[in-house]
Amino acid sequence: MEIVDLISPESVVPNLRATSKKQALQELARRAAELTGLHERAIFDVLLERERLGTTGVGNGIAIPHGKLSNLPRLYGLFARLEKPIGFDSIDEQPVDLIFLLLAPESAGADHLKALARVSRLLRDKTVCEKLRGTDSAEGLYALLTESPASRAA
Amino acid sequence: MAEIDLIILVCAGLTLASVFTSVVAFRAGAPLLLLFLCIGLLAGRDGLGGIVLTDRPSAFLIASAALAVILFDSGFHTSLKSYRQAAAPAITLATLGVVLTAGLLALPAHFLLGFDWPVSLLLSTSLSSTDAAALFFLLRVGGITIRDRVRSTLEVESGTNDPVAACLALTLVGVVAGQHGQGLAAVAVDLARQMGGGVLFGLIGGMAMVLVVNRVKLEAGLYPVVVMGLAIAVYAMTNLLGGSGFLAAYLAGLVAGNARLQSAGSLRRFQDGITWLAQIGMFVTLGLLARPSQFPAIALPSALLAAALIFLARPIAVFCCLAPFRFGTRERFFIAWVGLRGAVSLLLALVPVLGGVPGSDVIFEISFLVVLVSLAVQGWTVRPLARWLGLIVPEKTGLVERVEVDLPGLADREMVTYQLHPESAIAHGRPLPRWARPLLLHREGTVQYSPRRLQAGDRIYLLATPSQLPLLDKLFGKMKDEGATEASLYGDFAIGPDATLKALRESYGLPIGEEEETGTIGEIFRREYHSDLEIGDRLHLGPIDLIVRDMQEGRILSVGIALEPEEKPLAGWEKFKARLIAAIGLPEG
Repeated sequence: MEIVDLISPESVVPNLRATSKKQALQELARRAAELTGLHERAIFDVLLERERLGTTGVGNGIAIPHGKLSNLPRLYGLFARLEKPIGFDSIDEQPVDLIFLLLAPESAGADHLKALARVSRLLRDKTVCEKLRGTDSAEGLYALLTESPASRAA
Repeated sequence: MAEIDLIILVCAGLTLASVFTSVVAFRAGAPLLLLFLCIGLLAGRDGLGGIVLTDRPSAFLIASAALAVILFDSGFHTSLKSYRQAAAPAITLATLGVVLTAGLLALPAHFLLGFDWPVSLLLSTSLSSTDAAALFFLLRVGGITIRDRVRSTLEVESGTNDPVAACLALTLVGVVAGQHGQGLAAVAVDLARQMGGGVLFGLIGGMAMVLVVNRVKLEAGLYPVVVMGLAIAVYAMTNLLGGSGFLAAYLAGLVAGNARLQSAGSLRRFQDGITWLAQIGMFVTLGLLARPSQFPAIALPSALLAAALIFLARPIAVFCCLAPFRFGTRERFFIAWVGLRGAVSLLLALVPVLGGVPGSDVIFEISFLVVLVSLAVQGWTVRPLARWLGLIVPEKTGLVERVEVDLPGLADREMVTYQLHPESAIAHGRPLPRWARPLLLHREGTVQYSPRRLQAGDRIYLLATPSQLPLLDKLFGKMKDEGATEASLYGDFAIGPDATLKALRESYGLPIGEEEETGTIGEIFRREYHSDLEIGDRLHLGPIDLIVRDMQEGRILSVGIALEPEEKPLAGWEKFKARLIAAIGLPEG
């Protein structure tokens, strides 16, 4: 499971505007609805349901909201770089400015977990995050995100 | 007179040399105790110093008193919490483990090295105990935090097994020297008397100490002296009355260290210093006593014995003793490896020599070499091994500048002062809880009383109970970095303990059966671990692991989800195992 299997250049938002966690999730749900053809409301509800278990703000300005939807044909990712950091109830209580949304079909099971782990591992890399923060074009962000680990190490 | 001054100068010089070389050794990660021992060797009759110490009884006296001090101090620093956490496995290791190690090690000594049974047994017994002093040094001074349960087990084991091994050795010497009627019953009675006496007098002595410190009015500087005097008195009295003095000293320390003591801070500081001195004194003296010129002759048997101890006797004993307890394979492996031998082994090796057991001279020399090997091999590898096995817990909070001040007459509170760290939660605008309000603060030369607003760099003074200290550290110290190591130990995401398993299953599509779906995550952890739950404990839930991220006063605050728990830092071990299995041609699994 690689990042390139999850996102397309269209699913990268270089300058998302939001002032709160709720607004950010709403905006992301709207964009995800455009991509997947599902209802905006259904996506938003699933994300909110997951946030109730515990925040997906994993610290260092990163959030990885995620959820499962029954009539999704495949895994969908959506990456957003926020114009201004927002509060996200993160575990380190720091504001969030990079969000990776991951939606999975009901039947995905292990693939869902693998994809989430892949995203989590990518965004734990501080140098990757620095580069993402310093890039403001969708193409540039997409290239950074889908760069294979091997070529990054080189 | 000149001779006396010379002796004093030599003692002081050796102490100073030990202290200064330790600075260098610490940088190099070398085990300090090994260094002290080597300084003794160097100064000794076959070394550069040429000091001839043939007076074994005096050396034994110095080392015994020093060991009593060290054991008292290690009891003093062992919290009852770690005792409760690890009592059962640790005491099994300290009793059955010692006997097993001694028994197993006697076999190669007899059959491979050809010693007769009494000498083999005396040798293996002297080498059967894990050295508390050496171990505490590694675990504490090394500046690493090993997972709680593993550390507690090792600490309690090493503190409790010295007396057990000492009892065993003294009893054996008695048997060999023909003081007993050779009957097993007499041996058992003697052992029981030693242990019973040690426990009884240790507890009484500890309580007496608490009474004296809290009730008797003395010059402030005398309290540490009184405590140390009582500790040594407890040791000697117990020995005179037929109990185990070492056990008594350790238990007295345990009782006193866990009681609410007036001026506990200055006691601790004094004991830290005295314990260092005792360590240096004991190891240097024992080093002086050895004769390196004899080493080549016994190098091979010693190396064989050391290998048998490190790779067979200790691991077998540990795996047997820990079988009924819940430890991971890596934790067992670590505990087996960290069976450092130290001063106690040397001291016990002197017992048969002093007891006039025939053929026992060689016991001390061989023990000495085995201890050297153990300190070098195991001591040097503990830290990298702990890191490799993933047993090091990241520090809970970043750097804290904290100074504790004792308040006369107040046993349960102390004055604490912090320098507010610029990257602390408070400096980042987190609200200041009522109980954490400083009495006064010191900022750029001015003093403010009951201040409300704090800023980075302020030196603040407040009254706190010891249980509040970790919370204060979190408020005023540098915030921890949620880095990659954190994620691997505590999971990718955090959830609350009140989330239900059902909700988790639905969110992640976990393949777990309906019947398991009752209760919240917190309740399931409780059910699995009962009261010995601690941070870092895991539950396997199908493909994911749940990990306790944070706790406060026994309650779970946060639980982590590890999405890829199989990706542990032990990839090398798995590879090695696979290669081993392939090489031997065993079926997988």
